Amino acid sequence: MMGNNREVKVEVKNLTKKFDDLLVLNDISFNIRKGEFVCVVGPTGCGKTTFLNLLTKLIEPTSGELLIDGEPADPKKHNLAFVFQEPSAFQWLTVEENLAFGLKIKKLPPDEIKRRVDNMLELLGLTKFRNAYPSQLSVSSEQRIIIGRAFVMNPDLLLMDEPYGQMDIKLRYYLEDEVIRLWKETGSTVVFITHNIEEAVYLAEKVLILTNKPATIKEEIEVELPRPRDFTDPAFIQLRTHITDQIKWW
Amino acid sequence: MKQRNLFLEILYAVLPAVSIACLLVLWMGVSGNRPDLIPTPAETWSRFADTFDKPIMRLSFFGHILASLRRVMTALLISWSAGILFGILIGWSRTGKSVFGSIFNMLRPIPPLAWIPLITIWFGIGETPKILIVVIGSIVPVIVNTQSGMERVEQLYLDVGTVFHANSRQLLFEIAVPSALPTILAGIKTSISTGWMVVLAAEMLGAKSGVGFLITRGMDSGDTALVLVAMIAIGIVGALLAVFISFVERMICPWLRKK
Repeated sequence: MMGNNREVKVEVKNLTKKFDDLLVLNDISFNIRKGEFVCVVGPTGCGKTTFLNLLTKLIEPTSGELLIDGEPADPKKHNLAFVFQEPSAFQWLTVEENLAFGLKIKKLPPDEIKRRVDNMLELLGLTKFRNAYPSQLSVSSEQRIIIGRAFVMNPDLLLMDEPYGQMDIKLRYYLEDEVIRLWKETGSTVVFITHNIEEAVYLAEKVLILTNKPATIKEEIEVELPRPRDFTDPAFIQLRTHITDQIKWW
Repeated sequence: MKQRNLFLEILYAVLPAVSIACLLVLWMGVSGNRPDLIPTPAETWSRFADTFDKPIMRLSFFGHILASLRRVMTALLISWSAGILFGILIGWSRTGKSVFGSIFNMLRPIPPLAWIPLITIWFGIGETPKILIVVIGSIVPVIVNTQSGMERVEQLYLDVGTVFHANSRQLLFEIAVPSALPTILAGIKTSISTGWMVVLAAEMLGAKSGVGFLITRGMDSGDTALVLVAMIAIGIVGALLAVFISFVERMICPWLRKK
């Protein structure tokens, strides 16, 4: 394991969000270390997506703070990337142009964009499809483009909102390994939201369990199983069962 | 199985020719029995050949087609640039929509031909009024489609842009406009046929050139063969324009090509 003494990358302090009178997130505090892979699980409708939208600053919290490297999170200064639940590859751009999109928005020098995109195409194994359009590829390739488009930014914080929610098991396994590989290659800090507990235990260094609405953090679990992880390992199963029990609110 | 597929392929290749042949036969039948209703194909053909020996109003047949095409193309270029800009304005900006939207919705249902009297008073009977009427007719589908394309840009795409911290200009030009392009192109396609339709009407009222003029001339002098020649030419040019625009569409929106 990479050890627990890495510096803190993201600090969430007393984060609270109300929509009018509806309290969705209640006083959430936790830290994410640099390069950590955190999975967030919780019952359906507990406010996981609201939680992510707060982290990306798509919406503002009612109270509380979000610090990145000790400074208030600011999309202008910090490099945030987001992988949405729905397939969001731009249909009118080729694979290569999709990967370069965020880098161009940030106005990086062209040779730097080319270097990073080439590298990402290589990592994704999509080099020979660089000039293809997303509609010409399979669903899994399209999802890989989206994930690549996020990782290629070398983000300070990469947020993923159930990116594999609509995939079948085989694709899931495949893409889960892919995301681990990219995470290791790029050293990004990842927050991965899922409702699939097995997926959380398979991927995470740390699992945050949210309670039912209004959501607070019920438990923080360090997952120290060796990789690649084995779904049938008794330790794996024990952890999975424990998290499942924690999520039950009935 | 393979043979059957081959048979079907051949059948599908031959059928269009068969249906055109049937139409010709029908035409020959009707014109043979009732020459007062419609000239025969042979007469029409020789009338077509005549237009080259005896120019009408000092213009050959192709001269007339070119005259119409020039009017349509000038008008279309104006419609496309102005229509897309205006469509983006009322489709993308709420202010733009609330200021101009209702005016546009009021003017939109007025058929372009209804403008003819006013346009004639304002601009006389030269080229400008004809082009203007075609612009009025062909700009509507461009605006309507651009507006609806811009209003229906997927929120998800815009969210992706926002997360990448795109500014509003980048959201507009890097995301909204390209994602609306197929819809805008559909409007452009419609505008071509509308423009072609309106130019004929405009030419039938006081022009000295163009296919619409040929039809009026044929009607006035009881020359139905000439009317028919002009009609066929209109059909062929219209079809060629459609082919041309679908070629342009493939160039501009390569992602719409089938796998």
